[in-house]
Amino acid sequence: MLFNSIDFAIFLPIVFLLYWFVTNKNLKLQNFLIIISSYLFYGWWDWKFLTLIIFSTLIDYSVGLLLSKEDNKTKRKILLWSSITVNLGFLGFFKYYNFFIENFITAFSFFGSEIKGNSLDIILPVGISFYTFQTLSYTIDVYKKKLEPTKDFIAFSAFVSFFPQLVAGPIERASNLLPQFYKKRKFDFDKAADGMRQILWGLFKKVVIADTCAEAANAIFNNSDNFGGSTLLLGALYFTFQIYGDFSGYSDIAIGTSRLFGFDLKQNFAMPYFSRDIAEFWRRWHISLSTWFRDYLYIPLGGSRGGNWMKIRNIFIIFIVSGFWHGANWTFVIWGALNAFYFLPLLVLNKNRQNLDIVAKGRNLPTLKEFFQIITTFGLTVIAWIFFRSENIGQAISILSKIFSDSLISMPGFKKPIIIFLIFLFIIIEWIGREEEFALHKLGLTWNRSLRWFFYYAIAMLIFLLFDQEEQFIYFQF
Amino acid sequence: MEQFLKHILFFLLFIILLAYPLDILISNHLNKSNYAWGEYSTWNDLYNGQINSEIVIYGSSRAWRHIDPELLEKSFCLPTYNMGIDGHNFWLQYLRHKTLLKYNKNPKYIILSIDIWSLAKNNELYNSNQFLPYMLNNSDIIDFTSSYKGFTTLDYHLPLIRYFGNKRAVMQSIENTFFFPSHATKRKKGFQGADLVWNDDLYNAKKNTEYYEAQLDPTLIELFENFLLESKKFDIEVILVYTPEYIDGQKFVKNRKEIVTLFKKFSQKYDILFLDYSNAKICTKKEYFYNASHLNKTGAELFTNILIKDLESTIEQNPIRK
Repeated sequence: MLFNSIDFAIFLPIVFLLYWFVTNKNLKLQNFLIIISSYLFYGWWDWKFLTLIIFSTLIDYSVGLLLSKEDNKTKRKILLWSSITVNLGFLGFFKYYNFFIENFITAFSFFGSEIKGNSLDIILPVGISFYTFQTLSYTIDVYKKKLEPTKDFIAFSAFVSFFPQLVAGPIERASNLLPQFYKKRKFDFDKAADGMRQILWGLFKKVVIADTCAEAANAIFNNSDNFGGSTLLLGALYFTFQIYGDFSGYSDIAIGTSRLFGFDLKQNFAMPYFSRDIAEFWRRWHISLSTWFRDYLYIPLGGSRGGNWMKIRNIFIIFIVSGFWHGANWTFVIWGALNAFYFLPLLVLNKNRQNLDIVAKGRNLPTLKEFFQIITTFGLTVIAWIFFRSENIGQAISILSKIFSDSLISMPGFKKPIIIFLIFLFIIIEWIGREEEFALHKLGLTWNRSLRWFFYYAIAMLIFLLFDQEEQFIYFQF
Repeated sequence: MEQFLKHILFFLLFIILLAYPLDILISNHLNKSNYAWGEYSTWNDLYNGQINSEIVIYGSSRAWRHIDPELLEKSFCLPTYNMGIDGHNFWLQYLRHKTLLKYNKNPKYIILSIDIWSLAKNNELYNSNQFLPYMLNNSDIIDFTSSYKGFTTLDYHLPLIRYFGNKRAVMQSIENTFFFPSHATKRKKGFQGADLVWNDDLYNAKKNTEYYEAQLDPTLIELFENFLLESKKFDIEVILVYTPEYIDGQKFVKNRKEIVTLFKKFSQKYDILFLDYSNAKICTKKEYFYNASHLNKTGAELFTNILIKDLESTIEQNPIRK
């Protein structure tokens, strides 16, 4: 089920009313309702893949319990690796099998050996990368004794399958989300109203910004051979806003929906396009994945301890793995590597933690220096997104070579005034709300009620009227 | 919780209350655009009572593309308007006729372009976006379009519903409101000549099927006959015109003769002029067509002049200039 669908618009109020009016007196029943709703939400897409979620849930629940009873280091390691193998095995099979087979065949044929291998017609289960990482974090934390394993199977199942963030995150840590299933939730007006605002803003980002930009971006990228540098640059800019609106929009809807049910999820995006350097960008973009890689890959690899070479190696590893996590295509690997390259100077000069605060905090506008830093960082990310969006590396290089050619100085096609207006409107609202968890968090709260409601009305109407069809979220494919 | 639900309900109420004015705003800007293949200019003229012509041309795209009203107007010194509606048979041509009589003065002459599709079944509401700005609670549009697939009852009666999922139309309206209004229509008194050369439409059609056979619709035949009777009653003179079709295209239609005979019968029964250009010289010259059933701009000019002459020659029997 998609958040931007009629189905979800019917599903959500029904679950909400059942949750707060029917099952509210019994915590177990309330958690059980979450499981049933989540399975329905997921099964709406393809019920067959529910078995994967149920299997992962059973494995990690059992491994967690067994780990709590086991003191023998070797046996504990075996238990941990059995969970990792099963979870990553599913992920590897569904997401990377064909990629590896095809690349092995290409590599062997390059050396003159012909090997036979059949790629399979595999459908990638929606959200597998997200819930796999979420359940893995539970097992690893239990293994490291950072988290008490749960005995409450219903709470654990609800944690794994929690529908607002099941298919595209935020990737929640068990230490944050799981305990919330143990406690009775009380309805909180402010939290729910805030949730509604965040859902509204998330839908605006998805339907109005991302889907509108997508039309132009797709038209340009799908026919990139026919366009000059200026149009291709415009296409890359459209995609830059498309991917941000799409993914952060999803996260906002997920977090807002969770708030309606009394849950607090972690912030996943913090106005990343206002970052002053790439390190800051990565502290603000897909935070739940970045911190996951930091805690479960970067730090175990040694993190920033050791010499420069060790740091550089670790940075490359996490960026390349992060790129590969997005999809089985070399374009994602290059995208990751490119970001690692961007990161390098900051790391070597030890400047990767210089912009920890919010840009222009307490001021209306950034300084000239900040402005140029923002523009430079934004420009670098736009270049990286070209690899992310392209079908293959050849296309990305061809686009970049046209962008950095004379054809850049020409009138671009696809300069739709309405899209450009919407993007500017979006940037302004995001800038005003940059100190908050999401742009609409406090925006308008001090205004008089009719003005505030009119503002929400305008956003709601733009969502309603610019809704075209139920466009899937980009990150579903990851 | 009560407070929360109350707020949600109030907000929904707020949305409902403002839906109607917003609908009007969107519709009033959309109908000033060139969206829906420019059909809005004709609909606007119809609803705003700006047709008021002595001669009106009815028909499908073959009327719209073939008969230049300005040439007719010049020759006969009578205000003329082309009301051809692209992609539609007599069913929706009649809707335009009904709207014309409701908001404009009655014409003296109706030049009705007929062809094999005029009375044939058509389930698709082609270019349905042309109805968007006018269809809210419009009983005529509801009567004539609800039998097609496309719009739902809610679309006809509740504001904004028909715009939901129709992003392009809304974007067009917003662009027309705030950015670069594209008011200038490409149609001249409803007519738009096509500056095109011969394409592969007929070749592709022949590749897909051996021949084409139009399925006549009895309801449509009945409506057509009623229209002829009604026109007589209102003292409106109907002239049936089978405008040129490229010769190979004519051969491609299996029951063409049968359909032309049907129109001949109507012409005899109701004593109306029927000008059939199926065998005209122009039908053998590809350079005047862009596909088998449509003349290009040059062909349209040439044909309109032929039509003018033919109409003049009948003046003695059916005086056009009074």
